[in-house]
Amino acid sequence: MIKAGVIVFPGTNCDIDTKRACEFFGWETNFIWHDETSLDKYDVVFLPGGFSYGDYIRAGRLARFSPVVMALNDYVAKKRGFLIGICNGFQILCEAKLLPGILSVNDNTQFICEEADLLFEDKEITLPIAHGEGRFIVDEKTLSEIKAKKMNFLKYKNNPNGSIEDIAGLWDRENNIIGMMPHPERAIFAETGNTDGRVFFEMLSMSLRGEALASTWQSIKCGT
Amino acid sequence: MKKYKADIIVTLKKGVRDPQGTAVDMVLKRTGLAENAEVQVGKFFTLSVSGNNESDARNKLNKICEDVLSNPVLESYEVERFLEV
Repeated sequence: MIKAGVIVFPGTNCDIDTKRACEFFGWETNFIWHDETSLDKYDVVFLPGGFSYGDYIRAGRLARFSPVVMALNDYVAKKRGFLIGICNGFQILCEAKLLPGILSVNDNTQFICEEADLLFEDKEITLPIAHGEGRFIVDEKTLSEIKAKKMNFLKYKNNPNGSIEDIAGLWDRENNIIGMMPHPERAIFAETGNTDGRVFFEMLSMSLRGEALASTWQSIKCGT
Repeated sequence: MKKYKADIIVTLKKGVRDPQGTAVDMVLKRTGLAENAEVQVGKFFTLSVSGNNESDARNKLNKICEDVLSNPVLESYEVERFLEV
């Protein structure tokens, strides 16, 4: 059985949604407190959304000094499993330099809370977004590296926050690290009116079971 | 050990778009208080730092600024005040 861990910082608020989403796919799921120092037992680790440490100084800036983020460096170095940062989790991954670039204040200075139309690889999906600091910024040189490595797997169709190249999420395929501003965990249950988030968890399930993505990708249905 | 008080201002680097600054600029223009005020919004920190001497304390302060208070990818910092207390 796939074993998932959801990291909880003071100020995290999407931990329960993320755990429920994992459990919907039959994954055994635990919360991980931010002072944990070993993550070896998890096949997939989530940095969920919220406002870790109140977003003080900058979103994600203080969380990166917590013991569990130090442990994540080890988890990634060993290539133990998948590391997924959603929203505030993406901000933490960038602050911790586990992903390139940085997320800054939205172009319109507002907190944006809406359904965003996205391109997930070549699929059109809709996922909720909810962030004040989601504008992805990166220098030209790093941007060309991102494109060369096909890391920009998730893009906005109608860029809401001014992100460079409409980037909504990055996937470091060598190190199995994914960071994304949209919230797939909020689009799992039919009651929420949107189940497009399932495609993301199904993709992870297949990767974790070692199935080749290319051959099965087309079999994933978006929504229901 | 000597103790110093420092004030630090963190702002976005030149060339990084500052939407908060632009918003304040627009308000200044609309109210007629200023045209092209080139507002930059940043953060202010005041803190104490100890060291064997001034240069030791300044080195510690720079590390604090680079590692914690700012993100060198898009922000720069200035030490506005550095006084022995």
